[in-house]
Amino acid sequence: MNIKKQFTEGLITNNPVLVQLIGMCATMAITTTLFNGVGMGLSVLIILTCCNVVVSAIRKIIPNEIRLAIFVVIIAGFVTIVDLLLQAYIPALSDALGVFIPLIVVNCIIIGRAEAFCQKNTVGASFFDGIFQGLGYTLVLIVMCVFRELLGSGRFGGGLIDIANGFRLTLDGTGAGIQIFPEDFGASILTLPFGGFITLGLLIAIMQYALKRSAKKKEAAEKAQKEAEEVC
Amino acid sequence: MLTNIISISLGAILINNFIFSQFLGCCPFLGCSSKVDTATGMGLAVVFVMGLASAICWVIDQFILVPLGLEFLQTLAFILVIASLVQFVEMFLKKSVPSLYSALGIYLPLITTNCAVLGVVLLNVQNDYNFIESVVYGVTGGLGFMLAIVLFASVRERVQFSEYPECFEGFPICLVSAGLVALAFMGFSGMQIFA
Amino acid sequence: MNKILKLTLILFLVCAITAGILGVVNEITYQRIEEQQRIKTERAYAAVLPAEGYEEVAFDQDAFPTVDLINRCTDGAGWVVTTTFSGAQGSITMAVGVDPDYKCTGISIIKHSETSGLGANAASSSEKGVNWRAQFVGEDENVAITKMGGHIDALAGATITSRSVANATGVAIRAVRSLG
Repeated sequence: MNIKKQFTEGLITNNPVLVQLIGMCATMAITTTLFNGVGMGLSVLIILTCCNVVVSAIRKIIPNEIRLAIFVVIIAGFVTIVDLLLQAYIPALSDALGVFIPLIVVNCIIIGRAEAFCQKNTVGASFFDGIFQGLGYTLVLIVMCVFRELLGSGRFGGGLIDIANGFRLTLDGTGAGIQIFPEDFGASILTLPFGGFITLGLLIAIMQYALKRSAKKKEAAEKAQKEAEEVC
Repeated sequence: MLTNIISISLGAILINNFIFSQFLGCCPFLGCSSKVDTATGMGLAVVFVMGLASAICWVIDQFILVPLGLEFLQTLAFILVIASLVQFVEMFLKKSVPSLYSALGIYLPLITTNCAVLGVVLLNVQNDYNFIESVVYGVTGGLGFMLAIVLFASVRERVQFSEYPECFEGFPICLVSAGLVALAFMGFSGMQIFA
Repeated sequence: MNKILKLTLILFLVCAITAGILGVVNEITYQRIEEQQRIKTERAYAAVLPAEGYEEVAFDQDAFPTVDLINRCTDGAGWVVTTTFSGAQGSITMAVGVDPDYKCTGISIIKHSETSGLGANAASSSEKGVNWRAQFVGEDENVAITKMGGHIDALAGATITSRSVANATGVAIRAVRSLG
């Protein structure tokens, strides 16, 4: 298993949200500001990586019959740790994401990776799998946040970026973001639940289009090569 | 008390519908909604488990976790309760109510990872509901889920016959139509009785 | 049977280890979480009615079910009411300052889940949010949005949030008046 292949798999060809189609609840629910998206994405990345490492480290000693129960306990443990740390050190993020932080426990990405990948692979490979799958998830969240925030309220980086006194990143969620065009011109419907469904639907459609096109191109290239060989 | 219960129920079913306004339980919602029959089965199973889970988790929270000061174990305890509850319900139904088992059985294992179930239990704690309110919120939240999934399944049965771009095949067209149903549910937002 | 016992034991062991680790993390973060919550409430209180100190007073909870608690300012500046009510999307928790003439001295939203960009403006620290909340200063228990015959201009696209906040402010002032 090489790292480069894992990287493209996690971010594009086997992206957890756009291709595996899992973990969609939080993806649609919290992608209203960049602050929420980045916070949620990084939380999942950290939890996923930790769980992957632990699960693959103990994969040989846990009995097969109760492996799912043990995975769930491990995941719940890491989720609670992240939840407590957020409450203590970044309360604004904890408030904004609310119940969706503890709900990472039932996010299919984590248990899915534990079951499908870490059970059969080494600690190192699982570690990189966690990082790249987590990055893939974060990337989708960021794209959705930027799209919904920009078109919905004409803003970029709400909560995360503050330009009132020069450019700076605000980790306490107070930054007003960069106003690209007046808020009143935004299609505020995109910030509502409706916008979540539509944006994710469009993203997956674009992904399917791109994957199909590249598959077709590959096919055509192979065909051309074959024909060329035949001619020779 | 009664007005409180009615407003909790209406809130859970229509105003803050678990799927269309809180995004809880989207995976089974999109996975099990291709036919109205399957949707009804899944919905019933969710109502059942959400009601039971709310009741049991409330008892565990109030009589074990809170007195011992172990609130930080809530997530861990609740997910274990839900997982074992689903197992027990499955075994119980298989043995004593085979007819119900044949109707709901295949959906039960899927419910463990349904975030609506863990969500409702956590929201009960967050909203400081008492026992009756918790159970009402659990059952009506499940009913809201069922309403959403059954309504959406009938929409999807129609979508099959319509034409859309090839790349929207599968999930994307479902998400877009779910968005439109969510738009309809927005009409309930802010509806208040006994304000 | 032996096998089941072994499996149960392993599962129990995993749970115990996890719970132990969580206990340690909780021990470390516990005080900070409490502190954060205290700061948040204090900030909200200071924003609506600064005072030397606050003490909780009893009130008729059955008559005002949405009111969580009423704090009297120890220096006689008035009262701060914490109230939880339903907005457009979910429940809103808000602090309302009330002066001895039963006039609102300001409102501050502690927790909400309103629509970002619309109802959420009611709580935001942006100019829009600050100006909107400033309208409540000096209002009495009949506070209402213009559509309902009052003086509060509703936030654009968030009539329901605005109406709920105005109603809850009125209820809070009435609750203070009922103290006598």
